[in-house]
Amino acid sequence: MRLVSWIWFWYVLVGFIMGGGAVIIYNILKNVKLKLVWYEWILMIISYALFLFMCQTFIASFQEFEPKAAWFSLIFIGIPILLMSVVLFRSIKKRYYKIDS
Amino acid sequence: MASNKHHSTVGRRDFMKKLGVGAGALGLGAAGFSSFAGTGFGADGFKDLDEMMASPLAERKLPFWVKEVDEPTVKIDWDNFQAFEGPEKTLFNPASWENPKDYFDIYNRNIASTKKNVQENVPGLSLKDRALADANCWGWGGRSGADLAAPWTGADVKSNPQWEHPTMFYTPEQYGVPKHKGTPEENSRMVRTAGRIMGAADMGFVKLDEKTKKLLWGKIKFENVEKGYADPSKNKYVLPDKDLWAICAVIPQSLWMQQYTERMSWASSNTMSYSRANIYANRISVFLRGLGYQSYGGDTESVGRLVGFGVMSGMGEYGRAGILVSPQWGTNIRTVMVTITDLPLAETKPIDAGIAKFCESCKKCGEMCPSGAISMEDKPFWGGQADCQAEGIKGWYMDSKKCYSYMLGGEPDCSRCQTVCPFTKFDEAVVHDLIKLSIGSAPALNTAIRKMDDVFGYGVEPDLSKTPWDLDPMDIPLYGLDKSRK
Repeated sequence: MRLVSWIWFWYVLVGFIMGGGAVIIYNILKNVKLKLVWYEWILMIISYALFLFMCQTFIASFQEFEPKAAWFSLIFIGIPILLMSVVLFRSIKKRYYKIDS
Repeated sequence: MASNKHHSTVGRRDFMKKLGVGAGALGLGAAGFSSFAGTGFGADGFKDLDEMMASPLAERKLPFWVKEVDEPTVKIDWDNFQAFEGPEKTLFNPASWENPKDYFDIYNRNIASTKKNVQENVPGLSLKDRALADANCWGWGGRSGADLAAPWTGADVKSNPQWEHPTMFYTPEQYGVPKHKGTPEENSRMVRTAGRIMGAADMGFVKLDEKTKKLLWGKIKFENVEKGYADPSKNKYVLPDKDLWAICAVIPQSLWMQQYTERMSWASSNTMSYSRANIYANRISVFLRGLGYQSYGGDTESVGRLVGFGVMSGMGEYGRAGILVSPQWGTNIRTVMVTITDLPLAETKPIDAGIAKFCESCKKCGEMCPSGAISMEDKPFWGGQADCQAEGIKGWYMDSKKCYSYMLGGEPDCSRCQTVCPFTKFDEAVVHDLIKLSIGSAPALNTAIRKMDDVFGYGVEPDLSKTPWDLDPMDIPLYGLDKSRK
């Protein structure tokens, strides 16, 4: 089994995670009947794109025999994703409780 | 390996069957992860559990749908099996025909039909197609009539009337057609296509004028002759004084091989790039000959300042280490091959990808150079006064004596400056393109990019204990070249 022949496996996994994540987010928003405002959409799209970018860098760095680069990519790209996710979550939560009250 | 009483023998398929489908899937996942992580453990086939631990790579790996059998699928009667006398008894030899005239009838028909196709410009069988086919046959060995030594005037090939491909190495005159005609742009595209097929990573074209003629060796002279010539005994090399172009090509090295020790890399990647470079050069000269044009320069040192031609043809920029840095290949290119021709070509311009600017702040090759040969000056400077140098370039001048002494004076062969260059990367990760975009458009970030290159672990010393001998041979890229490269 050659290295490259398994790469599809990891990209399919990333596809499942991202697709599943999108379905979960859609269902949550639908259930709470909350509409995102424009900057929340932008944050979400950027986070999504960065997540894909992080996964690509992680997988490709192993293909390039650069494991250190792979793990560091998780930190350097993952931290901005986390920060944006926190901002997004707090923004949505704040508006939700406002609507709720 | 045969089983014995000390070894618990379990076939791979038996093992999978016994574990069941679910466990098999788990095994596949494990194999995927381990292959992905570069250990290759899950990829190892085994017939014997003890053997697997001792030598997991001992067996030849076959695709899972292929099984080894005791007898080939073609039936053989070994009792009545006869040894074939030899190649002289094949149909390629007219004497092996009952009536040798039949053989010559066939090849006369071959000559007639090949000529007709070329004369009628049949797609796939036209003059340029024949020229490409002939070019790629160069190196096939003595039977093709190719002289493996490349003289100044291009690979010495001639058609062999006794051969089964009698029109091979025909010239346009022999086909009864005029030499190839095309616009410079069409010719450039054609040569680029042929060059890629012959092994060039990138190609550029330089018209020889009063400036660029200075890139040629000083010993090369121009004379008012129809065809150039050489007299090596007098160290005399002559080009015809007419419009000429330099076809420049870079030959890729194996970046894959550079993960191993310098000597491994040198012995198996760098040197092979030189041999591929010469094969390319001979083939491109046969190609030009087949089109009806001249070519000059047949080996890696025969024309002039190769990095200079690389810079002027726009295949890269002049880097700190005094070598060409390509935007796509970094420094992972062994040489610039230059072939002089009278085929009109569209010039390619020099490029600015921010590489020279990046070299100002990077200095990684200089820091990593074990011989200290690479200049650590911040800015490029006018130099060239030392031995084996020539003036006229504002760049970083390498102390080639230090480099040469280190490389060949008993220390390992070296290509550290190429390996550590931040432009020398595989092109799997998209991030590399983004970094190059930044280098080309926002030089203010160059220092930070260099630091990140270190933090991410690029260009570290190779692990001396790591060698390709322990790999599954089928995991090695063909020719050591990286198949992901475009």
